[in-house]
Amino acid sequence: MEPEPGPSRWAWDCPVARRRLEELYFPRRACPEETRSFWAFFERLRRFQSRRPEREAAWDDDDDDDEDRPPSRRLGLPRRYHPRHRVNLAVPKPEPSPSRPWVPREALQEFLDALLLYLDFEQKRSFAKLAKLQRERQALPIARARRQLLQAVAGNQVVVVAGDTGCGKSTQVPQFLLAAGYRRVACTQPRRIACVSLAKRVAFESLQQYGDQVGYQIRFESSRSPATSIVFLTEGLLLRQAQREPALPAYGVIIADEVHERHLHGDFLLGVLRRLLPARPDLKLVLMSATINIRLFSDYFGGAPVLQVPGRIFPISVIYEPIPKEEVAAAAGKPERLDPRPYLRVLQAIDHKYPPEERGDLLVFLSGVAEIGAVQEAAQVYATQTQRWIVLPLHSTLSVSEQDKVFDVPPPGVRKCILATNIAETSVTIDGVRFVLDSGKVKEMSYDPQGKLQRLQEFWISRASAEQRKGRAGRTGPGVCYRLYAESDYDAFPPYPVPEIQRVALDALVLQVKSMGLGDPRTFPFLEPPPSASLETAVRYLRDQGALDEAEELTPIGTLLAQLPVDVVVGKMLVLGALFGLAEPTLTVAAALSVQSPFLRLSNANPDCATARRPLESPHGDPLTLLNAFNEWVQVKSERGGSSRKWCRRRGLEEHRLYEAANLRRQFQELLRDHRLLEAAPSRPSDSYSRQSRHRERRELHRLWRHHTETQGRKRKVLRLQDGTAGSSGEEEEGAGAREHGERSVDIQDVKFKLRHDMDELQAVSGSVLSPSQLALLKLVLCRGLYPQLAVPDALNNSRKDSDQIFHTKSKQGVVLHPSCVFATSPELLHAKEGKERGGTKEDGLSRHHQLLAFVSLLETTKPYLVNCIRVPALQALLLFSRSLDTNADCTRLVADGWLELTLPDAAAALRFLAAALQLRASWEKLLDQQLDPGGDEPSSRDLSALKRGLLEFLGMEAPYRLRQLTGLEKQALYVGPQTVPAAPHLPGLFQGTELKPDEVKGGHRVTEFLTYNCLATDTDLYSECLRTFWTCPHCGLHMPFTPLERMCHESACQPTEAPPEEEAGSSSKTSALHRLYHCDICQQDFTLTPTDILRHKKQHQ
Amino acid sequence: MYLRGSLKVLTTTALGDLKMDSPKEPQPTGEFKCQLCGLTAPYMYYGQKPPNTRSVELLEDCYVMKDPFTPDKEKILILGSLCSLCGLSVCVGAECSLFYSKRFCLPCMNENLQAFPLEIQEDMDKRKPQQKSFPGKKMDTRT
Repeated sequence: MEPEPGPSRWAWDCPVARRRLEELYFPRRACPEETRSFWAFFERLRRFQSRRPEREAAWDDDDDDDEDRPPSRRLGLPRRYHPRHRVNLAVPKPEPSPSRPWVPREALQEFLDALLLYLDFEQKRSFAKLAKLQRERQALPIARARRQLLQAVAGNQVVVVAGDTGCGKSTQVPQFLLAAGYRRVACTQPRRIACVSLAKRVAFESLQQYGDQVGYQIRFESSRSPATSIVFLTEGLLLRQAQREPALPAYGVIIADEVHERHLHGDFLLGVLRRLLPARPDLKLVLMSATINIRLFSDYFGGAPVLQVPGRIFPISVIYEPIPKEEVAAAAGKPERLDPRPYLRVLQAIDHKYPPEERGDLLVFLSGVAEIGAVQEAAQVYATQTQRWIVLPLHSTLSVSEQDKVFDVPPPGVRKCILATNIAETSVTIDGVRFVLDSGKVKEMSYDPQGKLQRLQEFWISRASAEQRKGRAGRTGPGVCYRLYAESDYDAFPPYPVPEIQRVALDALVLQVKSMGLGDPRTFPFLEPPPSASLETAVRYLRDQGALDEAEELTPIGTLLAQLPVDVVVGKMLVLGALFGLAEPTLTVAAALSVQSPFLRLSNANPDCATARRPLESPHGDPLTLLNAFNEWVQVKSERGGSSRKWCRRRGLEEHRLYEAANLRRQFQELLRDHRLLEAAPSRPSDSYSRQSRHRERRELHRLWRHHTETQGRKRKVLRLQDGTAGSSGEEEEGAGAREHGERSVDIQDVKFKLRHDMDELQAVSGSVLSPSQLALLKLVLCRGLYPQLAVPDALNNSRKDSDQIFHTKSKQGVVLHPSCVFATSPELLHAKEGKERGGTKEDGLSRHHQLLAFVSLLETTKPYLVNCIRVPALQALLLFSRSLDTNADCTRLVADGWLELTLPDAAAALRFLAAALQLRASWEKLLDQQLDPGGDEPSSRDLSALKRGLLEFLGMEAPYRLRQLTGLEKQALYVGPQTVPAAPHLPGLFQGTELKPDEVKGGHRVTEFLTYNCLATDTDLYSECLRTFWTCPHCGLHMPFTPLERMCHESACQPTEAPPEEEAGSSSKTSALHRLYHCDICQQDFTLTPTDILRHKKQHQ
Repeated sequence: MYLRGSLKVLTTTALGDLKMDSPKEPQPTGEFKCQLCGLTAPYMYYGQKPPNTRSVELLEDCYVMKDPFTPDKEKILILGSLCSLCGLSVCVGAECSLFYSKRFCLPCMNENLQAFPLEIQEDMDKRKPQQKSFPGKKMDTRT
């Protein structure tokens, strides 16, 4: 190229000029990426050449007069050197065409030379990648174990591969098996994210030679196709598949990875597989584990052979730096705040000892978010001072984009200081870590089976965890691990972490054991059996919830619940919601409650967020706030598309979790449809135009999605020093977001969402506003699902400060509201706001508006917290849902579930409430059974609307009452106990045919399964049960003296009159249970009469 | 790696019906192996005119695979070819071979270094120090 004499009119920067050449030499479909990257290369090349003119002269200088160079004829090499000869490629001549645009010869030559160099450069780049990849695979320790592994798998049904971090087992073993010809391979992982990344990695490493054969399947996403030979999936998902097809016929090899992590699902899966192996002699099982407790696994599978592979880890020096005694003592005064000084000392030590140009980041393991906050605050001050650190937190409640920051690169001379929970022990791997600082503590969920209470407690870690943490320092080079405990402490740590099965609620597990037909969970051969108390609690709980019957077999609702991948409580809500035609809001609430809360913890520095959130808050409680948030979000998405991200950011919402909730919601919806609890999707009224436009829209979305998957991969960014500043302002984040996505300007999550969901349907559903009665019913549905998770406000809450409101549950006194709870900011919503009106005064505790909180979970961290609460009217909720209701003689005193006492001074009102509750419960139960009975008829819409009407009326009923917890002493002397003389009222056929039986424990009489009449011990009204008072039946107008029990009988029997009037013949069959033979002594006649009719008849004679 | 002595010893028989190293997929034609550095990779075509490729021509018979690092179906990746002097199959890596109008494996190259133009000789001299470690033995050194 000769810049000087060349045609200066050929302007390289002119897009038209460029396009001419593109048309000639990039003949394929417009591929903007390719042309763009070529022109970038071209410009770099020109700059390079202009800087080295003498080199350039050698380029296409045909008139070189230096003829003495002797090119060897023997090798047949070209006479003169030209860089072009070093390229083994050529650019084909473009097809001659009449419309061929003219390009000057010199420019064309320059272009062609550059293009050739570019193609060669591309080849070199790809080949270097390939060589590096193959080199790395070869260098993995597992590579040398390949032959042995394949022999072991061929010769044994079960093989255990034990290898430590970095040995490459997770990526290589699947490839070895594929290369050896195995197909239909499943590889289970404890974590969803690992399924996706491993599938991608394996497809990549195997150089795509298996194409579509490598896939993954997680809860909402699957890249599986008929061509799939190996699928990475979660342990839970494989269990679900085993539930449907117990022999797992889809698989020939199952690789269970990371079994040493001992997750609930993983443990259970091994149990299921062990049972399956004899029935499937062709099935191969490969267990992969860290070198922890290998014998346990080998022995469990009858002494399966173990292939042990060394990990690849660089040497790590360990420095024990226990916290000095005086500091421990000083910190003991403020147990809630972690002392950051020992952590700062390590930062200083690193700065002191290692020059900044030696790269390497620090990973700090702390027990929880509060501890991270404490250290972050102090470390940030130090970082600002020294300008040598960027402090980044890492825990699961951070937004995804904040979590991603830990993968970014610090500028030269600056180190990252990552403050992490144990999430960084296994789930997240960060390259470049050279220093590890281990607090030795972990906060783990522990489970108290008695109280069904989850507790987040701080423990010392196990030696296995300590080693795992240490290992994080030696992934990329020699490292250092600082331990804030003494070596003697380390020696005293337990060897392994407590397996999950030992410390969580087993409801779902028991349900799955049952639904898979594995028999009694108490005798199931678990890898290590769970505590029997946990199993018993779970069985009892499932019986209480109606999922198991008395014989511990699955009930229809239990069968359904076993298929829902959610908490039993949430599953129940779905079923109940479907019954009342409230499926849509219930689906949303259930889904939102089953994912991590989308509401991010608000920093105090951000009052705008709190203000922006306020319109979403529901005065009824958190589940309804979630409903509002989800609905509003869907509206924003459908109206303004991609801007939902901004909308979320402004409100401190983690959009990712809303996407998850949407996915879960859809899964629930499909399950309900499968079980015919929800009608199939309404067929869209569509004309050809809207069909077409929808089709077009989907095609466009698919294009975007394809484009994204082809060009995906988050590029690492270089961090700035201020990136670590705690609570970086919203604008800044938004700016960064815009920058990050500006180039592509497509929100790929939004595209995915719109491909997966029917936007129109979702928008319609989420746009409809609930009427007050629908809302009231929804609250009842949620409350019934949550029952018995109820909390009662402390009697003195009215006089407490907002933040000091105290509540009590049946098993736990003195719990508080989680700070995220709407009632924590607006406690007045819970106060029984009666006072002056209608005679009630605060002192006597009488009110018409006592309320209870139904909560989703009880979480104990520093304090026991109620999480996700809704408020419900106390009297109605207790009467409708209590498993045990005990009354005194005139039913003015009621005790619900043995812990809450209700006193209604107005006996007539008390009876009205009780009678209504009895009737509503009976018909609700009946309709629910009908709904769940797969063979039976659908519940009639007339019965349903009657029930709904009844419930709403019931909620509208009012009477002043007192509500209080029984004291321990009162609970002990609650019942009169078995009575020697059955003082039973001689009223037969009470309550729709149930026999009134003396209760042998409590005394009094059992009226229904849950109601025991007159069993409460009282010292006042011994005779009340015999006292009759005049009363007029509102239905039949009967006026006469009744005892309370007689009255209840009458009311119950008199209910049918509410139904449309029926012929006597018709009604006789309906109420036959109430009829009895009656012989009247006065008129000496025999009748078949109901108790009411008998009374009426007697009255005639008076 | 080793087998735990105390646990059941692995059997080496019963490999029977398993085919090793030969994936049944139609895509790859065979496995290319560099006889100098030992690099292996499946190739789908050997020759000068790889199918489905219009934008580029090859000047020698090459072992070619679809470029696995781009979704573009037409992009190919040249793995290696035969040395024009000794016929050894060598990869295109700079440590194993060089193309200058023909393919030369590095040993042949060094034998005939004087026959090559100065530009290439200079390049070879510059590269010498790095040449000691063959890629096959190189450990992962990223930090």
